[in-house]
Formats: sequence, structure tokens, C-alpha cells
Amino acid sequence: MIYFPQLSSGATGQFPMTRRRENRTVVNQSRQGYQVKLADAAAAITDWHLSFEEMSDQELAALEALFQAAEGRLTPFTFLDPTDNLLAWSEQQSQPVWQASTLLALTAGVADPMGGTAAYQVSNPTTATLTLQQSISAPASLDYCLSLYARSNQSTALWLVRGSETDVRAISPQWTRLISAGQLPDTADSISFGIALAPGSIVDVFGMQAEAQIAASLYKQTAETGGVYPNARFRDDVLTITTVGPSRHSCELDIVNVEYL
Amino acid sequence: MFPLLKTGAVMQYPAKRTLQFNTDAIRFLDGTEQRFRDNPSVLHRWTIPLDLLDEAELTALDQFFVSNQGRFGSFEFTDPWDGTVYPNCSLAQDTFAFQLSGEMRGKTTVTVCENRT
Repeated sequence: MIYFPQLSSGATGQFPMTRRRENRTVVNQSRQGYQVKLADAAAAITDWHLSFEEMSDQELAALEALFQAAEGRLTPFTFLDPTDNLLAWSEQQSQPVWQASTLLALTAGVADPMGGTAAYQVSNPTTATLTLQQSISAPASLDYCLSLYARSNQSTALWLVRGSETDVRAISPQWTRLISAGQLPDTADSISFGIALAPGSIVDVFGMQAEAQIAASLYKQTAETGGVYPNARFRDDVLTITTVGPSRHSCELDIVNVEYL
Repeated sequence: MFPLLKTGAVMQYPAKRTLQFNTDAIRFLDGTEQRFRDNPSVLHRWTIPLDLLDEAELTALDQFFVSNQGRFGSFEFTDPWDGTVYPNCSLAQDTFAFQLSGEMRGKTTVTVCENRT
């Protein structure tokens, strides 16, 4: 798998950055202003404009290596959107993208810390540890940050699953944002994020978010697609780099994700 | 439902609202005109420039764009000037772009138009 590299800070992009989504709708408009519309979902395009300043030699080398491996705009690579939550259906844990242990009980419609009712109550009635996870097609070797809100009147701890690592975090009856971040010595082409519940645990969970960076940003709700783009490409065949001193490089580039290619 | 900002507002200043009629005019050789309406009533359009948004607010707008499939979908929009509810509105464009110039410094513009019902 070839993928867009992270900077040494663990970030995928720098500010300012721009993301643009473009759909295609065929519109037939009558003289009186009435419209008949036809959506063409398969023609959707997402693109990013990224600017990098003060890149080191190593960071530039990683970017150049990707550009050469992809041969410019010829072949696709995996791009993890730095502005989005990598997990799909972040508020619908009943969707098939979520893999729940067989006997794990999920109850939707629980009051969440944002004032809505999008939280889930997750309970483990068994005598074994049960998990709720989502796997994404992205290199496990990158820096990731898993974050979620949790509360419980019965349990005092929750395990956060980030690939092969499991971090225990204390929880209380108050909503607390739990975070597990870091890099794993793992070369797999996919990584799972989720929670593990001890036997007998009942926990309210909201806002699961995975990001390819070292710290959590504000929670971002997602639907059928998260921020993983396995079919991204460079928009151009040219990569221009400006060097203003030793290990001080800058460049701008455009990445485009087109599903129909 | 069109997403609200964290403040509960729909728009920020400067906001723009456009009212559009569609009149056809036929001008005769003697200079007189005959005019008639092409559209049965006025159509509204709101241009909503938004600045200093945080990522959650941007994501809400992005999800709204995705769920509407750009200008394909329709929704109910409440005119923030007078509270009138327009039941059949759409996004005016098939493109949604935002720029992040820093944390909680997102910027975008959304245009909503009323559809002929």
C-alpha cells in the first residue's frame, strides 16, 4: 500500500488547507422555473489543496518518494483526510462497518454531551471482555489518535483499542473525553479502533473519532464515509519544491479523490 | 434541517438575500411594451458567508452538503430576516469548499435557493 506520509510532527497537513467537494446534478429547468433534477452520485469529486512550509529533508524525501511511487497522477494512493474523522458512521454503531462482539448489547438514543440523543449505551452481560471496533484500510504504522466521550454509573474503567494497543482509561458518571494516541510498531495495511468492555460493564459512549495525528481535534460526525480515501491521486504530474536553506523546503500540492477512476 | 452555528445563528454578517422575479418584455416598433411574468411568484436566494468556524461547524455543513448530494436534495429553510419558513429550498451549487487557516478558523460560503413548487 502506498500512502500519503505524515510530517515528523505526526500531522498530515499544515494550515492553511482547503477541501472541496463537488457533486454532479443534472438539472432540466422549464421556462417557468420548475426544475427536474437527477443526481449523479458516482461523479462526486473531493479535492484538497495542501501547503507545506519548513519541511525537513526527511519529510521532503517521504513526499518525493510517494510522488515517484505514484508516478505523478498515474496511480492512486491512500490519503487520510486531515480535516475529518477517519471512522464512518460515527453515531450509528449499528451499521455493518462496526464490528461488535456477538453478545455485546447496544442501545441507541441515549443523551449525549452535545445536548442531543446520539450516544449509545454499551453493555457487556457476559463474563468475558467484549469489543466494539471499526477497521479502516490505512497503514497501521502511522500516528493515530482515538478519542471518544464516555460515562458510566456502574463502571470505573474503559479500554480504548487502537490497533494492537489497548489503553485503559478511568471513567465517571460525568461525560469525559478519553484519548489514546501514538504510533504502533505494526506494518499492517489496516488498523482497528474501538472500545473493550470488562465483564458486567455498562458504559455510555458518544463521538468515536480516529485521526491520523497525535492529538484529538473537535469531534466531527460522519455518515457512510469517513476520512479514508484509498483512491486518491495527485492532481498534477509536476511537484515543485522551493528550498530556502538547509532542510527548509516548501511546496504546494493538490490531491483529488475521484471514485469513478 | 439546515445546520445552525454554535451560537444558534444561521448566518453571519455580511449576509445577502436576493429576491428574483422573471419578467419577459416584448418591445414593439412604436416603442410600446408588453410585459408578462414568466414565473408565477418571487424566488428567494440567500448567500451565507461564514468565517471563524470551528471544525465541528464545518463538518455539520459538509455533512449537510453530502446528505443533500449537492443541489439535488431539498430542505426547509427559515429566512433569518423574518422567520418565514420556505419548505422547498436547495443548495444552489454542486460544490462545497472550505478553507482552514488555523484551529477554529474555518471559512466557507453557502448559497441556498428557493425552488419553484
